[in-house]
Amino acid sequence: MRDVTLRHEDGGTRSPASAQADRPDAGEALRADGITLTFGGVTALNEVSMSVKHDELVAVIGPNGAGKTSLLNCLSGFYKPQQGQIIFNGADITGKPVHEVAVMGLTRTFQGTHIFSGMTVIDNIMVGRHQHMRSSLFDAFFYPFRAREEEVQNRELVEEIIEFLEIETIRHQPVGSLGYGLRKRVDLGRALAQEPKLLLMDEPMAGMNTEEKEDLARFILDVREGKRIPVVLVEHDMGVVMDIADRVMVFDFGRKIAEGTPAQVQRDPAVLKAYLGGGAV
Amino acid sequence: MDPAGTFATSFVRDQALIRTRWQWLALAAFLVALLIAPMFVGPRLVAIGIGIFITAVVVLGLQLNTGYSGQINLGQAAFMGVGAYTAGVLSTTFGVPFFLAIPLAGVSAALFGFIFGLSAARIKGFYLALTTIAAQFIFHFLILSLPTSWLGGSNGIIVAAPDFFGYRLSTDTHIYYLCLVVVALMTWGAYGIARSRQGRAFVAVRDDDVASGIMGINVTRTKALSFLVGAFYAGVGGALWAYYVRYVAVDQFTLIHSVWFIAMIIVGGMGSVTGALIGVVAIVLVQEGISTAGPIVAEAMPFLGGQISFAAMNIFLGGIIAAFLIFEPRGLMHRWIIMKRSYRVWPFPY
Ligand SMILES: Nc1ncnc2c1ncn2[C@@H]1O[C@H](COP(=O)(O)OP(=O)(O)OP(=O)(O)O)[C@@H](O)[C@H]1O
Ligand SMILES: [Mg+2]
Repeated sequence: MRDVTLRHEDGGTRSPASAQADRPDAGEALRADGITLTFGGVTALNEVSMSVKHDELVAVIGPNGAGKTSLLNCLSGFYKPQQGQIIFNGADITGKPVHEVAVMGLTRTFQGTHIFSGMTVIDNIMVGRHQHMRSSLFDAFFYPFRAREEEVQNRELVEEIIEFLEIETIRHQPVGSLGYGLRKRVDLGRALAQEPKLLLMDEPMAGMNTEEKEDLARFILDVREGKRIPVVLVEHDMGVVMDIADRVMVFDFGRKIAEGTPAQVQRDPAVLKAYLGGGAV
Repeated sequence: MDPAGTFATSFVRDQALIRTRWQWLALAAFLVALLIAPMFVGPRLVAIGIGIFITAVVVLGLQLNTGYSGQINLGQAAFMGVGAYTAGVLSTTFGVPFFLAIPLAGVSAALFGFIFGLSAARIKGFYLALTTIAAQFIFHFLILSLPTSWLGGSNGIIVAAPDFFGYRLSTDTHIYYLCLVVVALMTWGAYGIARSRQGRAFVAVRDDDVASGIMGINVTRTKALSFLVGAFYAGVGGALWAYYVRYVAVDQFTLIHSVWFIAMIIVGGMGSVTGALIGVVAIVLVQEGISTAGPIVAEAMPFLGGQISFAAMNIFLGGIIAAFLIFEPRGLMHRWIIMKRSYRVWPFPY
């Protein structure tokens, strides 16, 4: 996936590259076209187009307030962009409610922690199985044994994830009592339990120490390679991005200002100016 | 946590509610005790038992709604009232047998509750609390302003004793067994719901509704559903009340009753079915204590006046809520778990 050429997009007029993106592509997990999102006077996203291929790990970088979180919020249905279209695995998901997008196989982790702090690690990850389970309220009341059976089946998959993330020893602990690094791991586990077709991650490593970062980077790579789930990773840590991303998109003031391989982006003058403050990386 | 030396050998075992043979024995003994109790205790204790059972049904629903799903509900007494009136009218006016009238009372209360569940989609916390208080006023207003020939207005309605294929359940002992069966069923159902996919969705919505959405949970639907379930329980409890008291009136279902129900889940512990039961028993027993002691105290110290019970009750209500929120916000159930943990792992804490 290192064949993407670096290009600058000047908003307003549409570049040939985004015109080319109009053709449907079977290899694409996700494509967004001309996304514009404003909050009153603030333009959080300005004519942003992007795509993610089925086997890609795409990093999104940019200074604070560049619009990275806003982009993920649009893609996952939390915000409805004023303009533009989002195609996920061939289906138009623009403006669809979050839970419907999730059921179609798009999931995400959050900046900071959005975790079910009153539940144990197992239950948190079991919530990820919600969409794959069928038992209703009625079943739970009248046929608890049938509901139990489904519970046990899904628990097996949850145990696999717990093993994968190496959190066996804390599986019965309430998540509220865990440290930040472990919470983020549970957050990832919950997303993986959904068996997603695309995973968006919003600054998963912010606030972690080096060791925790290395662990998480390893898990993310495993997700991409082992589970073959495409990943969009918003990340501030340039070292991590350079190490694990196939492709990098750079945002500034709501625009995508550059895109390419980590090495290409690193040398890009616009990026150096906007993001790296002109200094060395 | 398991007792020392006990390990879950399968997911089924790991999820089981009751894990050791001793726990099964204890539960069986407890149920047998409840079954034979009316033969050994006086009518006063049977009446207290009935009160506990009915309240338990209502509070289990509130626990699912407020404790599990985090939706503050100060209208549970009104939902109970809707169930009581439904059961009363169905059985007295239309001759519907009680075993149909009880679930139907649940359904009609659930529909009433569902309306407030829909508003929970848009509003949270304090404002939701205000909206559910409105349920109380709507309930009172409707009953009192409908023609007296319909629901009796301020006179209330008389309810016939339930009839079981020609056998009239007219004594308190009969009602005790009726309530025992219903509360057992509803408790069983509450445990089932709490540990199910839907129960987890309730807690997920309570803990973080943003993250719940991306897990594929329809947050609006889940909140509405939690009101539906909570009000269903209230309606069933209301129906039992109607058959027990055989007289239904609006002032039996006021805001202060709803506050008592909230107090019970606070005392027992939010988000625990067992906690709800503990809270009900603890508070009903103290209430009974106060209303028994009240007249005695009033007689011994006449200068306190005849309203002593009423005053003491309200001081107790306010005091217990404040005290628990400050000192034991997770309720008696939590305290019990901590104690259990410390003796269970003894002597080898691994
Ligand atoms: N809900 C909102 N209401 C108003 N303005 C918002 C909202 N969400 C984002 N913005 C604005 O949109 C812009 C982009 O914000 P966004 O959170 O997407 O940035 P970001 O790239 O994720 O930054 P960070 O690195 O700090 O997480 C900012 O100017 C922000 O103030
Ligand atoms: Mg952000």
